[in-house]
Amino acid sequence: MTTMTGTTAPYLAGVRIPALRERVIELLWLCCALIAVVAVVFILAFLVVDSLPAFRETGIIQFVLGSTWDPTFDPPSYGILPLVAGTLLVTFGAMAFSVPLSIGAAIYLAELAPSRVQAFVRPAIELLAGIPSVVYGFFGLVVLVEWLRVTLSVPSGESVLAGSILLGIMSLPTILSVSEEALASVGRDLREGSLALGATRWQTIGQVVVPAALPGITAAVILGMGRAIGETMAVLMVTGNAAVTPEPLLNVLSPVRTLTGTLGIEMGEVAIGSPHYHVLFAVATVLLMVTLAINLGASRILERLNAVGSGRRVPLLAGGFLSRLLSGPVLAGVVLVIVAATVGSTAGPVPALGAFAVGATLLIAVPRLSSRQKERFAFVLVRAAVAVVLLVLAVILFDIVSKGLPALSWTFLTGTPQDLGRSGGIFPAIVGTLSLVAGSIAFALPLGVGAAIYLVEYRQDGRLVRAIRSGVDLLNGTPSIVFGLFGFSFLVLYLDLGVSMLAGQLTLGLMVLPTIVRTTEEALRNVPQALREGSLALGASRWQTINRVVLPTAAAGIVTGTILSVGRAAGETAPILFTAAIFSQRYLPTSLFEPVMALPYHLFVLSTTVPGSELNRYGTALVLVLLVCGIYAVAIAVRTRFQTTMRQ
Amino acid sequence: MTEITINDTMNVLEACGLNLWYGSQQALQEVGIAVPALQVTSLIGPSGCGKSTLLRCFNRMNDLVADCRITGRIAYRGDDIYHPGYDVVELRKRVGMVFQKPNPFPKSIYDNVAYGPRVHGETDRARLDECVERSLRQAALWDEVEDRLGDSALGLSGGQQQRLCIARTLAVEPDVILMDEPCSALDPIATAKIEDLIDTLKQRYTVIIVTHNMQQASRVSDWTGFMYLGRLVEFGRTLQVFEAPREELTERYITGRFG
Repeated sequence: MTTMTGTTAPYLAGVRIPALRERVIELLWLCCALIAVVAVVFILAFLVVDSLPAFRETGIIQFVLGSTWDPTFDPPSYGILPLVAGTLLVTFGAMAFSVPLSIGAAIYLAELAPSRVQAFVRPAIELLAGIPSVVYGFFGLVVLVEWLRVTLSVPSGESVLAGSILLGIMSLPTILSVSEEALASVGRDLREGSLALGATRWQTIGQVVVPAALPGITAAVILGMGRAIGETMAVLMVTGNAAVTPEPLLNVLSPVRTLTGTLGIEMGEVAIGSPHYHVLFAVATVLLMVTLAINLGASRILERLNAVGSGRRVPLLAGGFLSRLLSGPVLAGVVLVIVAATVGSTAGPVPALGAFAVGATLLIAVPRLSSRQKERFAFVLVRAAVAVVLLVLAVILFDIVSKGLPALSWTFLTGTPQDLGRSGGIFPAIVGTLSLVAGSIAFALPLGVGAAIYLVEYRQDGRLVRAIRSGVDLLNGTPSIVFGLFGFSFLVLYLDLGVSMLAGQLTLGLMVLPTIVRTTEEALRNVPQALREGSLALGASRWQTINRVVLPTAAAGIVTGTILSVGRAAGETAPILFTAAIFSQRYLPTSLFEPVMALPYHLFVLSTTVPGSELNRYGTALVLVLLVCGIYAVAIAVRTRFQTTMRQ
Repeated sequence: MTEITINDTMNVLEACGLNLWYGSQQALQEVGIAVPALQVTSLIGPSGCGKSTLLRCFNRMNDLVADCRITGRIAYRGDDIYHPGYDVVELRKRVGMVFQKPNPFPKSIYDNVAYGPRVHGETDRARLDECVERSLRQAALWDEVEDRLGDSALGLSGGQQQRLCIARTLAVEPDVILMDEPCSALDPIATAKIEDLIDTLKQRYTVIIVTHNMQQASRVSDWTGFMYLGRLVEFGRTLQVFEAPREELTERYITGRFG
């Protein structure tokens, strides 16, 4: 559109060129979006190809149903049943801690908390989410495990219980924030409708707000579960890693080893191409399948519930089997039996009877309370939930800050490690982490934003879009250790990049890609349609509209998403474990093809294999926490600032 | 302020010297009103005049607004409802409310109507069935939904949803029903149905209705209050307010010569 004053001719002549340009641009975004699908296909292909020899050698039945995992024995046995049992025990244990706590806290935050309390608690939850998993593992190893050992007077605290508590804490922020959002999005009109009928606040919450938010809360729990199943570093550091099925099964003080933990421990030491190597890929394939199944199941449930919520049919849970299953008394009874069985398996029959008696008394007493008393009781519980969450955060931060501060010094920050990291500094690790993050974002940001633009602005639906969206979802649900294995198999070996910074950057980039796509998508969706229509109605082309109206409006959301990805990439250990990280290096890397030190990996090695490095462990943990939290703080500040400017 | 003299009825709700602030902004100023029993009282006035705010004082719905402050007194059947010891849940049981936008819960039609009795402790299935049917009949919705009580309430049309919300309110067997522009989201046919309904409701309930629509006020109500800038300018028999308003402001508003 160069001439605005001419006759109609230049206008018509001008139409063609933009049309072509528009199509090229659209194609470009389509390619970005397809990367996610391609990545998923590649990951699956490489895992499956590398695990096939294992099935051939061990036999699929032997592998899936074998009850012994002993790869170094002669002859080795590769039965993953104990690993699966370990994963399930730790995951459900984690849910037992985090689901009640986080839903209770979410109810408090969304329904009861004064805004001053919200303003204080929300960032605290975000902080809890920001702490890298290796730091959780470190804390679990030195504080939690030790505390369990002393308190319960057992030989070792490394157990299902430790893993469950730690994973519970780690999945708290996910479940909490997603549930809170779901609760907060329940219309005010529904609350008023219920209160105006003379329902108490608790009746309103329990019978209107929570049921209306149930799809979101279900999603929250499933997301938290996915996080727990896929977690590697923290679990590996506190569960004791004995590849045994606990005896009896619900003995929570038994050590276990999870699928992820096995990969984290054994992948580094295995001979490439050996049967053991292929079996590990088979384990990764199983892990990936499990998480994919969970995520697919979750989105199915969500779709169904959402369709029900707006459609003509009764909600899934009104009447019918599920509703009776989920009705308070039945659910409480089931929980009570499980708790009693767990206590019984762990500590013997007497405490189990005690637990059962206490639980049963509550079950009988609570329904007899008046609705006011129930309300008071429930409010005490949800307040206590928030208090516990905050206390956990305070304990972790206090421990790391108070013991890490003495380690911080100029030489620590700028020196190179000496004596296997017992003394000296962590400068190469800081530089390594920063360059890994920078590279991964440089890779993921354009792709992710492009993909999101395609999904939101060009094609809303259709088979291709659904494929892309599933690709993104699947990537998002892929455990970080699986990215690590894929990076190793594809980038390090197949593309022959070697253990190098570049391989690490690409692996991390792939891992944060779904985060960037999703947050960008959300930011774009939040741009009012009226703005697009306004621009299009002035004769702007689609790309002009996107470029000049939509993207600037969505900038805050995109920036926030990117910064969150930066934080995530900085704290991750598992993906770089086999692709980029090296423990000790005197010099800074000079090219992309050299391995690098990284803070999370450094902390991992110091705390698991270098005795006598306590001070520097805490110092490294503190630097890592400060780095990641600093990044998140910037994200929060950016978001708040943009939110306020948008409102004016 | 007009002097109010009501001889032939007993007053259910009485407000006097009522002031209300949202933050630093005053929304009600020295409002005094006496609402007669078993009659329909309408509150009219331009947008932002405080009529919905006043209505929401009667069942203390304004409690939910964060920085809302109230002085003055409102009595329900003689008791000060803003007294610290007053049971607000009990009040809302007695003083029901129908909102501007239909707000059925995302539950079945049956569960929507049964919600109120259930939260007040009713568990007997037969009594609930009876109550649901009676309430839906009173709200003139029974014939349209009797064969699909288990369907989601969200599948009903807007007018049906609003009548469902009225049925939901009736199921609690309140004394007073507050209606906050109940027809503003509805088409003319649905509006006519609700207006007919209001007319039958006053045999058993005291109704206070906030409306934008002056024809509606004159059609359905026995008493009318005209509000302007947070004050109750005039209150009296509907016929009198519309045909011989005492205040010039009222006359200008009613004849459309406003502002």
